[in-house]
Amino acid sequence: MGTENPGRPNFPMRPSFTPFASAPPTVRPFSPSGPGTGSESSNFRPIPPGAPPTMTPFSAAGPSPPVRFSDPSVPSAPIASVPPSGAPYQRFPTPPFPSAAQAPPNRAPPMGQPPFQPPAGQISVPPPFFRPQTQVLPVPMGSPPQNANFPPSSMNVPQPPTDSSLSGPRPNFQPPFPGYPSKQPAVSQAPSPFPAQQGSFMPPPASPSPFPSQQGSYGPPPVSATLGYQSRDQMQHPGSAPPTGGVQRLTEDFSSLSVQSIPGTNDPGLDNRSLPRPLDGDVVPSSFLEMYPMNCDPRYLRLTTAAIPNSQSLVARWHLPLGAVVCPLAEAPEGEEVPVINFASTGIIRCRRCRTYVNPYVTFTDAGRKWRCNICSLLNDVPGEYFANLDATGRRIDLDQRPELIKGSVEFVAPTEYMVRPPMPPLYFFLIDVSISAVRSGMIEVVAETIRSCLDELPGFPRTQIGFITYDSTVHFYNMKSSLTQPQMMVVSDLDDIFVPLPDDLLVNFSESRNVVETFLDSLPSMFQDNVNVESAFGPALKAAFMVMSQLGGKLLIFQNSLPSLGVGRLKLRGDDLRVYGTDEEHILRLPEDPFYKQMAADLTKYQIGVNIYAFSDKYTDIASLGTLAKYTGGQVYYYPSFRSGIHGDKLRHELARDLTRETAWEAVMRIRCGKGIRFTSYHGNFMLRSTDLLALPTVDCDKAYAMQLSLEETLLTTQTVYFQVALLYTASCGERRIRVYTAAAPVVTDLGEMYRQADTGAIFSLFSRLAIEKTLTGKLEDARNSLQLMLVKALREYRNLYSVQHRLGARMIYPESLKFLCLYGLALFKSVPLKGGYADVQLDERCAAGFTMMALPVKKLLKLLYPSLIRIDEYLLKPSAQADDFKNIMKRLPLVSENLDSRGLYIYDDGFRFVIWFGRMVSPDIAKNLLGPDFAAELSRVTLTEHDNEMSRRLMKILKKLRESDPSYYQLPYLVRQGEQPREGLLLLVNLIEDQMGGTTGYANWITLIHRQVQQN
Amino acid sequence: MVKMTMIARVTDGLPLAEGLDDGRDLVDSEMYKQQVKALFKNLSKGHIEASRMSVETGPYVFHYIVEGRVCYLTMCDRSYPKKLAFHYLEDLKNEFERVNGAHIETAARPYAFIKFDTFIQKTKKMYQDTRTQRNISKLNDELYEVQQIMTRNVQEVLGVGEKLDQVSQMSSRLTSESRIYADKARDLNRQALIRKWAPVAIVLGVVFLLFWVKTKLW
Repeated sequence: MGTENPGRPNFPMRPSFTPFASAPPTVRPFSPSGPGTGSESSNFRPIPPGAPPTMTPFSAAGPSPPVRFSDPSVPSAPIASVPPSGAPYQRFPTPPFPSAAQAPPNRAPPMGQPPFQPPAGQISVPPPFFRPQTQVLPVPMGSPPQNANFPPSSMNVPQPPTDSSLSGPRPNFQPPFPGYPSKQPAVSQAPSPFPAQQGSFMPPPASPSPFPSQQGSYGPPPVSATLGYQSRDQMQHPGSAPPTGGVQRLTEDFSSLSVQSIPGTNDPGLDNRSLPRPLDGDVVPSSFLEMYPMNCDPRYLRLTTAAIPNSQSLVARWHLPLGAVVCPLAEAPEGEEVPVINFASTGIIRCRRCRTYVNPYVTFTDAGRKWRCNICSLLNDVPGEYFANLDATGRRIDLDQRPELIKGSVEFVAPTEYMVRPPMPPLYFFLIDVSISAVRSGMIEVVAETIRSCLDELPGFPRTQIGFITYDSTVHFYNMKSSLTQPQMMVVSDLDDIFVPLPDDLLVNFSESRNVVETFLDSLPSMFQDNVNVESAFGPALKAAFMVMSQLGGKLLIFQNSLPSLGVGRLKLRGDDLRVYGTDEEHILRLPEDPFYKQMAADLTKYQIGVNIYAFSDKYTDIASLGTLAKYTGGQVYYYPSFRSGIHGDKLRHELARDLTRETAWEAVMRIRCGKGIRFTSYHGNFMLRSTDLLALPTVDCDKAYAMQLSLEETLLTTQTVYFQVALLYTASCGERRIRVYTAAAPVVTDLGEMYRQADTGAIFSLFSRLAIEKTLTGKLEDARNSLQLMLVKALREYRNLYSVQHRLGARMIYPESLKFLCLYGLALFKSVPLKGGYADVQLDERCAAGFTMMALPVKKLLKLLYPSLIRIDEYLLKPSAQADDFKNIMKRLPLVSENLDSRGLYIYDDGFRFVIWFGRMVSPDIAKNLLGPDFAAELSRVTLTEHDNEMSRRLMKILKKLRESDPSYYQLPYLVRQGEQPREGLLLLVNLIEDQMGGTTGYANWITLIHRQVQQN
Repeated sequence: MVKMTMIARVTDGLPLAEGLDDGRDLVDSEMYKQQVKALFKNLSKGHIEASRMSVETGPYVFHYIVEGRVCYLTMCDRSYPKKLAFHYLEDLKNEFERVNGAHIETAARPYAFIKFDTFIQKTKKMYQDTRTQRNISKLNDELYEVQQIMTRNVQEVLGVGEKLDQVSQMSSRLTSESRIYADKARDLNRQALIRKWAPVAIVLGVVFLLFWVKTKLW
C-alpha cells in the first residue's frame, strides 16, 4: 500500500493556472477550435469531425480544472467546477463530446472518483475560481500545457475506448493517478464533457499538456502540465503522478514514501505498516511476455529490465545491474513442456554467420526462400526441405506445424555434428568419508539407505553407471563386477601416488550389477561401524575417483565429514580468527587455500564430471576450499553443520534423493547470444567458462540458475528491439543429445524512466546477490555491503533526479513501482548469511556454504530466502473443520517484524531451507499438547516434531507438507522454539526477522531513512 | 583385443550405437574414429561392395560386416584373431537385429539405439581374452571360414572413394571440355569460312561499286 501514494490530503489548492476558466458560452473564439476541450489545442483539430456546432458554447478553456490532487487516490476533481449541481451534462445539446470520441477516455471513470459529482466533495473546489475565470479568456491558457490530446503514443499505451460514461455528469477522468500502472492508457483526456457551469462546458480536465514529443519518445517532458497538474506546484504532492512528458509520462507511476525524520529523535517518521513488502513472493513482471508474446517463459529467462537502453550514457545512469538470469532447465508445469523438434535430415536451421537458431522472430522473405536472422540480420537461404510458401501477410503457411517458429522455448534433437562422442550414460559416483566422525554422526547409514532407496529411480535405466569409493586414511575401492555375489574391497594406502587397482568394474552398469550394489549398500554402515580412524585422505580419494570417472564423466557426490588431513589437498585449520576481520586478509578465509582444489575442479570439468559436496562436520571443514570443486563444475554444496542422523536425517534423505532422481542434463554447454551492439560480459554462478562466452556445465538440473551481465558495445543502438537467445546443448538421461533454445525479445528505449518501469526486482537481486557474494571473495564483507548500498543509493538518486525537477519532492522518497521492494531486498541481502555482520555473526563454513548455495539459486527461491515467509497457523489449527480451500487463506504471509509475533499464536517461519515453528508464550496448552505429545513442556530443542494421533497434529503436518511441495529442491527441517527461550529463539528466528533492528543492524524503517538521506545528498 | 565398436546404418551413415568406453587408453582414438566415419560414408555411397572386410590401419585392423543395411564394425589389434573378431560381430548382429531390427529404418536421430552399448560392453568382455576355453573352441570351429574375407589397407579403401570421385570428376570434366571443344571448332570453322571468302567478296564489292559509279557518272 505504501506504494500508492499515500495521499496527503490537505494540499492547498490553488490552481496555479488561471487558465482553466471555463469559457462562458459567449466566448466564441475558442469554441471553434476545439470542439471539445481546449480551444487552443491544435491538437484537437483532427478531431473536429465530431464537433457539433452546438458545441461552441462550451468552449472549454483550459482544461485544467483545478485539480487538486488532494488525494491522490481521488485525483483531481477536475471539474470540481461543477459546483452547482453540475448541470447535467445531458442538457447540453451535444452530449457526446467530440473530443471524447477521440480522446480516449480511458480511464474508467469509475476509478473512484465518484466524488466529483458533487462539487468535489471534500475536495473543495472553490467555485470562486471558476467564476472569475469565466471571463478570462482562454488565451492565457495558451500556455503550453493546455489540453493536449494525447495521441496515444507509444507502444504500450492502449487506446482507451471511449466510454459511455461520458454522459454522466461527472467529470471524467482524471489524470493519471499515481500509482497507476503504466499500462494504463495514457492519459485520458478529458473526454468528458463536463458540465460546466451553466452551460459552459468546462473542458475537461485532462488535458493539459500537449507534449511535444508525444510519440513514444520519452523525452523529457516539456511541460508538465497534466491536467490536474497544473496545480501541482502548489500541491506538494510529489507522489502523485508526475507529469512527465508524453503519454507515458502521464501515466508514470512512481511510488513514494514520505520520510521526514524528526530531528533529534530516532523515529524515522515512517509508518511501518505502509512500507512495501513482498508478501506475495516473487512476482514476475508481465510486460516481458505481454510485449512479445512469443518470448520464452520468464521461468527460463529473466532480464533485469525488459527495456534495453540504447546508449552507453543511459547504461551508465542505470546503476542497477543490467543483465539476465537464466534457469535453463526450470521445471515446467504439467502441459507446458518444451516441445521437442527433430529436423532429422534437414539439419538444424541456424544463421550462417552468428549461428543463431531459427526462432519465432526470424522473418521469411523472397517468397519463403530466404530468412533473415533476427540477431545479426543476415539473409540466409531456407533449405529445400524446410521451404514453405508465405501467405499474403508474409507468414509461412505451415506456421502451426512449426513450434520453433511460434514458441520462444523449444528443444532440438542434435544431429551427429553436435557430438564429440556418443551420448554418455548417466553416471553416479559416490565418494564417502568413513572416518570416525562420519560413523558417529550416522551419516553413512543415512546415505547408504537413501542411495539404496533411490536405485530404482535413478534416471537413464538401463545405461546408468554407478560406483563407490570410501576413504579414511586409506582409499577403498570396490569391485562390483556383476558376476560376484558381493563386492570386493581393495585398499590402497599409498596416498602419494594413488592408482586404480582394477581397470574395470569399479564403475559398473547398475542394471547388471544391481545385486552387488545392493549388497554393498546394505553392508556399508556395518563395515565401518567400528572404525576409529580419524584421518581423511580426501585429496587422494578425489584423484582416484577422477581416474575412475574420467572416461565417461558424470556426477560425483562427495560426503565429507572432517577436514581433509592426508595426502595432496590436505587443509589446515585456518581458523576463523576475529582479528582477521576488517583487515585486507579477511577475504582469504573465503577462498580455497590450496590451489589443488581449483586445479582439480578444472580437470573435473574438462572430463565432464560435476561435483556435489555434502559436508557434515560440526567442526571447521573449510567449505571454502571444498566448495570450489562444486563451484567450477556446476555442482552445489549441501551443508549440514553438526549432522546427527536422528535430527537431520530427513533433510539429508530428501535432498540426496532429490539430487539423485531429478532430471539431470549431462555434459552440457550453454551460450547466450544477443543482438548486435550488446554483449554479455560477465557470468555469475556455478560453472566453468570454457571460452569467452561458453559455459561448461558437466551436470545441470532444474535447481540451478546462472546470471550474466550485459554491456553495450556500441555507443548507440539503432535497432528497435534486441533479441536474446539461450542455447543449452546437453545429453539427456535417456541418451539423447538435445539443444534447448530460449528466445526472447526486448525493446530498446531511450528513456531511463522506461527502464525503471520495466525493471524486474527478482532478476536484479539475483544478480545483485551474486555480485555481492563474489565481492566478498575479493574484499571485506563491509566493502561488499557498501558497494551494494552505493548501487542502491545511486539508482534511487538517479530516479529521483528524473522527477525532482517537475515535482517538489520535498522529503518524500520516490521509487519506481516496479522496484518498490528494492530497499527491502537490499536490506535482506545485507542481512543474508553470506554478507551479514562479521566474525561473530555467522560461522565461516556456514557463510561460505550459503554463498555457494546462493550463487546457484533460481530467482524465486532466492527471493524466498531473502524475505522468508512468516505464517500464523494457530487459528487454522483450532478451527473445528478445515476445508482444503482454507488452506489458501491461512497462507497469508506476515511482515517479518517481531511485533507480529503474538504471544498467543503459533507461527511458521519458512525460508525455503528450514522451518522454524514458534510457540508463543501464551499459546493455548491444547495446541502444544496436541502437537508435541507428552513432552510439550520440555525444552523444545530436544523435541522433534512427529505426527501424533490427533487432528491438529495431522493438520500441521499437512501444512508443512504443502509448504514443502511448493518447492521440492530443498527440504525444510522443522525447528521448534518457544518464545523467550534464549538464545535459541534469537538465533533461529529473531535474527531472521530482517525488518527488525537487531544488534548492530538496521531496521527496515531506519534503513529506508538512511537510504533516503543518502539519496538526497546530491 | 577389441578397442572400439560401432554400429551404423549403411543407407545414410547414421551412427546407431557405439561401445561405451571406446577409445580408452588409445592415443589416436580421434583419428581412428574419423577413419571409421569416412569408411561409413564410403559404404553409404556404395563405393565398397564387399559386405565383409578387414581393413588395416596402423597397428590395428577394422573388421566389419554389413548385413540388413546395418554395418557392424570393430577395431582390434592386428594380433587379434580375425576369426574371433568376426564371431564377435556376428554376436552383435544377431542381438541387434533381435532387439532393434524393426526400428532401424525409422531411426531419425544419431545414436538412437545407444542403449545397446550395455550389450556391446558385455559381449566385448567375453571376447577380451583369446585364451579362454570358449574362445579357443570358436577359433577351432572349422565351419566358420574367414579366410576368403579380403584384407585391404585403409588408405586403399578410403582411397577407393576418392578415386571414384576423381574418376567421375574427370569424366565430367571431359564432357564439359569436349563440349567446349565442339563450340570452339564450330567457331573456327566459321572464321575459316570468312577468311576464305572475304577477299572475293571485297573484290566483287569494289567491282560492283565501280560499275555503279560508272553508270551514275556517265
